Amino acid sequence: MKTTITKGGLMMPRRSFLMGTAAVAGTALAAPSIVRAQSNVLYINSWGGAWLEAATANLFQPFTAATGIEIQTVSPVSFAKLAAQVRSGVYEFDVTTLGGGDIVRANQAGLLEELTPTFEGSVFENGMASHAFATILAWRTDTYQDQQPNSWADFWDVERFPGRRCLQRYPARVLPLALLADGVAKEDLYPLDIERAFAKLEQIKEHITVWWTAGAQSEQLLRDGEIDMIGMWHGGYFRTEDSGAPVAMTWNEAEIERAYWVVAKDTPNMEAARSFVEFATSAEPLAGFVTQANYGALNPAATALVPDTAQPRTPTSPANYAVAFEQDMLNWGADPEVVSLRFEEWLSS
Amino acid sequence: MIDHTASIKDRQNLTPWLLLLPLAAYLLIFFFVPLAQVAIMSVTEPQTGLGNYERVLTSPLYQKVFLNTFTTALLVTVCCLLVGYPLAYLMAHTTKKRAMLILMLITMSFWTSFLVRTYSWMVLLGRNGPVSWVFLQLGWDEAPQMLFTRFASTLAMVHILAPYMIMNIYSVMQKIDPSLVRSAESMGARGLSLFRHIYLPLTAPGIANGSVLVFVICLGFYVTPVLLGSPREQMAAGLIGRQIEEFLAFGLGSAMAIALLVITLIILAIYHRRFGLDKLYG
Repeated sequence: MKTTITKGGLMMPRRSFLMGTAAVAGTALAAPSIVRAQSNVLYINSWGGAWLEAATANLFQPFTAATGIEIQTVSPVSFAKLAAQVRSGVYEFDVTTLGGGDIVRANQAGLLEELTPTFEGSVFENGMASHAFATILAWRTDTYQDQQPNSWADFWDVERFPGRRCLQRYPARVLPLALLADGVAKEDLYPLDIERAFAKLEQIKEHITVWWTAGAQSEQLLRDGEIDMIGMWHGGYFRTEDSGAPVAMTWNEAEIERAYWVVAKDTPNMEAARSFVEFATSAEPLAGFVTQANYGALNPAATALVPDTAQPRTPTSPANYAVAFEQDMLNWGADPEVVSLRFEEWLSS
Repeated sequence: MIDHTASIKDRQNLTPWLLLLPLAAYLLIFFFVPLAQVAIMSVTEPQTGLGNYERVLTSPLYQKVFLNTFTTALLVTVCCLLVGYPLAYLMAHTTKKRAMLILMLITMSFWTSFLVRTYSWMVLLGRNGPVSWVFLQLGWDEAPQMLFTRFASTLAMVHILAPYMIMNIYSVMQKIDPSLVRSAESMGARGLSLFRHIYLPLTAPGIANGSVLVFVICLGFYVTPVLLGSPREQMAAGLIGRQIEEFLAFGLGSAMAIALLVITLIILAIYHRRFGLDKLYG
């Protein structure tokens, strides 16, 4: 028995471990199921960090003020948990946000409630379009002083730009970048040529010092100079820049992805969940949210309210959008599951 | 008719079981039931059958990860032994005050959250960390890549697990009767020969206990190799985590978890036959 007990601390997946720690402090784990009966509390899956700050100030607090429905957040964002709670019927959160890659998968798996469109093009695969974010190319200006990289081809060019590199451990976002580096035009990307992408990735593999798996980790790696060049989310990049680190980025060939609010299938808090999603994607709250967190609003009515000063940091501003490209999960070219498994095998070899 | 003395005796026999009841109930509800669910999932998700186990056993990725898990655990165990044995020896043969001081340092490190210790290694081995600085002072143009390698994850795991080894060996060394060593000396045994024939065999139970504990705990390590190592050397727990979090492959992840558990139990069973599991408790 002794080994089992000691293993409890060490074997637990990181996320459960962190939640376990939280549970000790405030019984965070037990709370949701106990308070479940009260329909006046809505549980929202949170990304933490700057996302949470912007969401609390612009979405959560105004929603509570308007409806009297209290909002509790549950961390971290976990696609697996969304699936698990629909299967088990025990709901830890009612509402979450999903990226373009995950929403198709989630909807095909029947994890999402149907939503009613509130503006043109608002509902995609049972997700309510909220905001756009991007995977951008960033680098350390202390490493690259004479010439600076400007494209994914430069990221792959280890002769002109020697140094340690870093990408997300997420093939849906990384494969298109490899094809761009290999000379495929933005408009010809989809459906993806998976073979060609893997062949191109093979060229850079030994120069990728680390594959990041959490947004905060990518920020830390760039800020501490652990790596010289990185493909990361633009929101995290601007936080790194604002912290005073010697870094720069380009919007050229930025990979734009849309994020959607979704309601967990059959959640007991259906009404509150639906009204929150509607509220969070309506003009004024969404405008405040995207302005604070540097996202691009997907509701045109919200975009109209975003001040011009936010434009340079917004992936969907006309100047940035023109040089960027959008992820196309519906025309992706392969089964993402199969590709993910192949990617993991490739990484471990 | 109940015999009075017998009923008292019965009650006395019953007491230890009653005391065990809360723990047994706790383990049943929070450990064995979920474990059974995992076992069931491994043969029912996504289809009923042994398909998941077939994939775990035949896929090159899983074979590689399992092999790597065991070689890493073995490497960490050997390193812990090499570091721990001399330290335990020092503790057992120095003044009581110094032994307590060393023990205090070890337990302090032991009580620090292993997450904190893992992150400390990130700082120490980082590109701008003190170890890199030493390399630069020694005239290197750029310090070698230490973070995100097998070196970093092994070093950190040895650091985290060494106390298990040290405590086990120390507790055995402490109990060794000094007169045994003295009488060996009086018979002419010196240096290496004294160590090999007298001291080492006497400490063998401590080595065995420590090694099994370190090895088994290391098999299930998750956070440290994920944060400090590279995907090339990923271990089973990390892959199980990814199976479930990223691929929602509950069945496959469960099958891997059960396979890891079974292999661990087999190792414990071999150990039990050879040394007796009860020795693990000192």
